[in-house]
Amino acid sequence: MAQGVSPAGALKSAPANAGQKIRAILRPLGLLGPPGVWLVLMMVLPTLLIGELSLVPGLRPGQPIEGYGLLNYLRILEPTYLRVLQRSAMFATGTTVLCLVLGFPVAYWLALKAPKRWRNFLLVLFILPLWTSSLLRTYAWITLLRPSGVINLVLSSVGLPTQNLMNTHWAVYIGMTYSFLPYMVLILYASLERLDLRLLEAAADLGANPRLVFWRITVPQTLPGIAAGCLLVFVTSLGDFVVPTLLGGPTSMTISRLIYNQFLGVARNWGFGSALSMVLILMVSMAIALLLKYGDRNPEIYS
Amino acid sequence: MKSASSSKGGKARLSPPSWEAMLTLAMYSFMYIPIIILGVYSFNESRFGSIWEGFSLTWYRKLLGDERLFLALGDSLKIALCAVGVSAVLGTLMAIGLSKYRFPGKSLYLGISYLPLIIPDIAIAVATLVFLASVAIPLSLWTAIAAHMVFCLAYIAIVVSSRLKGLDPNLEEAALDLGATPTQALVKVFIPQLSPAIVSGCLLAFVLSMDDLLISSFTAGDATPLPIEIFSRVRTGIKPDINALSVLLILASGLIAGISEYFRCKSERI
Amino acid sequence: MPRRLHRNSPLLSRTSRRRFLQGSAAALAGVGLSNCGRTVGGEAETAPAEADGAVADKASGELRIYTWADYTDDELAKQFTEATGIDVKIDVYDSNETMLAKLQAGGGDSYSLIYPSDYMVTEMIGLGMLTELDKSRLVGLDKMREKWASPVYDSENSHSIPFSWGTTGLLYNSEVLTTPPTDWEYLWDNREILARKMTMLDDVRETMGAVLSSLGYSYNATDPAEIEAAYEKLLDLKPSLASFKSFGWQDELLSGDLLLSMVYSVEGIPVSLENPTFKYVIPESGSSVWTDTIAIPTSAPNVDAAYEWMNFNLQPRVSAETVERLFFATPNGEAMAMISEDLLNNKNLFPPEDLLAKGEGIAPVGEANALYDEYWTKVTSA
Repeated sequence: MAQGVSPAGALKSAPANAGQKIRAILRPLGLLGPPGVWLVLMMVLPTLLIGELSLVPGLRPGQPIEGYGLLNYLRILEPTYLRVLQRSAMFATGTTVLCLVLGFPVAYWLALKAPKRWRNFLLVLFILPLWTSSLLRTYAWITLLRPSGVINLVLSSVGLPTQNLMNTHWAVYIGMTYSFLPYMVLILYASLERLDLRLLEAAADLGANPRLVFWRITVPQTLPGIAAGCLLVFVTSLGDFVVPTLLGGPTSMTISRLIYNQFLGVARNWGFGSALSMVLILMVSMAIALLLKYGDRNPEIYS
Repeated sequence: MKSASSSKGGKARLSPPSWEAMLTLAMYSFMYIPIIILGVYSFNESRFGSIWEGFSLTWYRKLLGDERLFLALGDSLKIALCAVGVSAVLGTLMAIGLSKYRFPGKSLYLGISYLPLIIPDIAIAVATLVFLASVAIPLSLWTAIAAHMVFCLAYIAIVVSSRLKGLDPNLEEAALDLGATPTQALVKVFIPQLSPAIVSGCLLAFVLSMDDLLISSFTAGDATPLPIEIFSRVRTGIKPDINALSVLLILASGLIAGISEYFRCKSERI
Repeated sequence: MPRRLHRNSPLLSRTSRRRFLQGSAAALAGVGLSNCGRTVGGEAETAPAEADGAVADKASGELRIYTWADYTDDELAKQFTEATGIDVKIDVYDSNETMLAKLQAGGGDSYSLIYPSDYMVTEMIGLGMLTELDKSRLVGLDKMREKWASPVYDSENSHSIPFSWGTTGLLYNSEVLTTPPTDWEYLWDNREILARKMTMLDDVRETMGAVLSSLGYSYNATDPAEIEAAYEKLLDLKPSLASFKSFGWQDELLSGDLLLSMVYSVEGIPVSLENPTFKYVIPESGSSVWTDTIAIPTSAPNVDAAYEWMNFNLQPRVSAETVERLFFATPNGEAMAMISEDLLNNKNLFPPEDLLAKGEGIAPVGEANALYDEYWTKVTSA
């Protein structure tokens, strides 16, 4: 790899040094400028703006902005709203655990046990529902879960008691797991695919039983993938709106719905809504910080 | 090399499928049964799911006569195509710029470019609404397109970036040595190499934009993209023509997924 | 002690300079963003709607209407387009507050007509969001029944015209619920049978009002203690509710998922007429009697077409026909003369005077609004 010493280059660099310097700045600016400006304008600035509005207690649209204070944030600390935050975190954690427990065997089988020719196809087949509207997939569950729905049809035909699962926490867990399981499988698959099978072989040859091999080798090796998958599912389910709204009913208010109500619903309290949004962003940042702290470990230290 | 599974299989029992295989089968069914049920009901003559009244195409016919849905679909397509179109250019340029240059504040720039992927939809939607309200811009199709461009940009940039890492760094230099201007090198060397990744990123952004509910609710004003229309209909009761719509949309997405996968495989083979 | 460096000193290290730059950028942004007294949202400043009076007398173009789901149908829109040549596009909302929220968020600038309820009209007049009506352009306003000639919520009908009125009541499955409900208290008394099979309206004033009424208070209570008592009582009932739903309960009621719903008369009566299993009842202790109006927002783009629509709906014949199809009660006296005997005798559609006297109209509550909203948010979040 020659380091930029070529006859053509040398000829070019001699005259017009200033012009070249300008072009050298213009080029990256041309590439990075427009997207950067757009992101700052439509992303960074608005976020700063809601940060500011969150400090205006009880701001209604159309009201003049005066008087800053922490009242909105203090209101979030009231038990009702704290419970909303807790509930969102609970749904997110539960969904993450369910997706991990259900998704890991699938990814494992796909990456290690499925016939090689079919692996990609089978993976795409599993991921395919992700490409369809999440709204419609959640709607499908209404048909299943309602008292006169399919699940009860099946249960009653077998003689088991019917359930009313609609508008309960269970419905939300089912709906969210259904929505996010493919993400988990995809990320775990990518991690498991890179697993060095020789390590597994070596361990087996040294007399370790399959369980030991799994827990001492497979899991630690795929820990970054597990962490990434968990983070993605956690963050997405924390901010999910559709599933709790359609399947959850009145006892499943989550932070997303609460924020929605502050702006487009009855409450019309933009200050409170902004404060809630900032808290949500904070929760997500904390989750990511955790990942960066623990997911960064070098897998080799475990072998 | 002998795979671990065969050596494992050697000392393990044979024929009965492993529990992982069974669980995987169960999970595949879990994934597809709701969709299949939607499909079955879309052909049900009866309005109520609990009764089967015979196979019929009534709901499909009703769907085709539904003007509002088609208007909504049109709005959605307008937003998606415009947003993805512009973001394809901006996102690709951004990915190329980030991979080539180093400059002070690069990690800040990089961080900002990841923000749309990290911050939850609702927060982005709220922030955009507040911003637009502050600057007194009335909400319309255009504000929705502007808002969609943000996450489309980010996703396309990510997909293209990951492909850029695998590119041969010598090609650009070779082109420059042969007398091409950097712009020509960009157009004639980078873009063709990246095109499968660009297409794949665009398809991903397209699907995300078509499926977006929250950001559109907050920024589209009186334009009604499809998800908003579906959401308000689902909330006001279950109408079987939504079942028919679901089947059609799912088939369409499957097609797009297939095309995207094809391009992804193609890009990996280069 | 380290020497304090002057801010602009070239000896300043790179990192502190960067920090300074970042800090000043943030400060500038802060200053720029926080002009005191600046407002966010609310009605956008628009030029007064083009009257086009001089050039084109005939209204034309497209009319966008923002209304409730059950006040217009394709038939009405078609008739209007045939009569005037103006295209109609209808969007629906499910509560007054969501309509207000959308308008204030800047998303309602293309609507030339809205259908606010009585109390919302007063509120919106106060917010300056409704245009004053030019009576000379309206035909048939004098046909309104006495109660609506100059109603309490909008004197002289200066900013709105009454369009429909009705009551709020309970629609229930009479086959399963053999003891019929007669009052709001029924929901609390029978919550085991009704567990997760009943819904209440997703409307803060209606539902809170119903609970206030069951406690013996007024629908328009402003006393914080009374409102809090209603909040507690509603919270108590909440675990037995399937959901708060204003529209869309029909399928669930018809298929047996629900046994009882709190409904608007305009929605409940058609179901009870179609299917005698379901009966509509107005609670004895008093229910809300509401009036819905048509109004022109200040940001309306096509005011001429708006007047055309209003005049079209004021025609007695049109009003009567719409009532026959859509089952809302009309305040138009002449229209009532044209409605069929059956409907006129329907006690639920046109309740007798004594029942009406027990009912209350929802009125604006001024300062207490914030209290209602707060408790409602709490109830729905619990």
